[in-house]
Amino acid sequence: MIAVILGVALGLTVTLETVSGGPEFGAVQAGAWTGWPKEGAADVDPYTRAQRARSGDTPLGLTEGLTFVASADDSGTRFDSRCDYIVRGAVPPTRFWTLIATSPTGALLDTSTRRYEFTSSEIIRDDKGAFAIAVAGTARPGNWLPVVRGEPFRLVLRLYDTPASASAFTLDASQMPSIRRGACA
Amino acid sequence: MSARNTAETISDRLTRLTLWALAIAVIAGVTHLTSILMMPGLAPHDAFSRMAALAPLHRTTLLPAIEATPAAAGGHKGLAGLLGLPSSEWVDDPALIRGVCRFDLKQGPLRVRASLTPESLMLMSFHSRYGQIFYSMTDRSATRGRLEVLLFLEQQRDDVEANDSEDELPQELRIVSPTPLGFVLFRSLAERPSDRIAAQRRVAAINCGLNSALTP
Repeated sequence: MIAVILGVALGLTVTLETVSGGPEFGAVQAGAWTGWPKEGAADVDPYTRAQRARSGDTPLGLTEGLTFVASADDSGTRFDSRCDYIVRGAVPPTRFWTLIATSPTGALLDTSTRRYEFTSSEIIRDDKGAFAIAVAGTARPGNWLPVVRGEPFRLVLRLYDTPASASAFTLDASQMPSIRRGACA
Repeated sequence: MSARNTAETISDRLTRLTLWALAIAVIAGVTHLTSILMMPGLAPHDAFSRMAALAPLHRTTLLPAIEATPAAAGGHKGLAGLLGLPSSEWVDDPALIRGVCRFDLKQGPLRVRASLTPESLMLMSFHSRYGQIFYSMTDRSATRGRLEVLLFLEQQRDDVEANDSEDELPQELRIVSPTPLGFVLFRSLAERPSDRIAAQRRVAAINCGLNSALTP
């Protein structure tokens, strides 16, 4: 009887641990970014499905696009909202993309501005077509993505209608935007 | 004599302890796997349940815009967290205008018809009752600026094909749903905040309903 109780408790604890947080399997690393291209496929694994049932998330289908998440900069240091970060460089070929800052659980940040993200259409680019986005707690010139000073955040990059869906497992850092830490207050 | 007894008792105890540990591990394993597999059917706040609370069957309903809510930052822990509470939300892209059409294919096949705006992104995904995206596409799959889908259950295939004309190929994309219940999610990108109204119109204009010609 005690074995049954202990066993059930242990089993549920392991379940709780595995369904909290992001999908477990099929992660792809490219630079600071992690993606789960299998997440939107029809043959999704039971763990990802359980995790999704718990969060109520509706991820992008594989044909719709890909989602990548970053919680640390290129050097692997966790984001600190007291610091500035510059996101720049390449994005895999895609019709549209968006970059958003969220809380670690995925909720929108309660910033005083109503800007939560940038879409590829509204970004200001230089004369060579390159872009740089400043992620910072206080206003910055150019493309400024606000975060809340003192609160943890992460960055989510979504590629819509992208041919990279078919080759997501071979993406590497050079094809993804770089994230560099700037000054810290 | 007594030394041998002690040795036997120790090995007996070890055997019993090992058996206990094994029993606990097996029960834990079974519980873990069962709970993982049952989660999509039991979780009270999965996407299917959320949509059921927000939208009626067989018509396109715009979903509320995604807003920042301070309470949503936390998330629940412990047993309540196991099944998921609304505050553990993982948000969609706020630049997407979202609409949903819930379906119950037991009432008949579902038809989705969308006239598309050139150059505007439209995403369409088909979700089963238990969290599987069984089909997804973008406006790139459109023919002559239109996307038309007929969704049905495997056992309805004969009825669907009985109505086909012999000289013409079907004009719509045909998809078999793995479960009778589920929902179709329409998402369109508002490229700039000023495009939101236009994107809402694009989503709201999608025609979704029972394919009445085939409904008994």
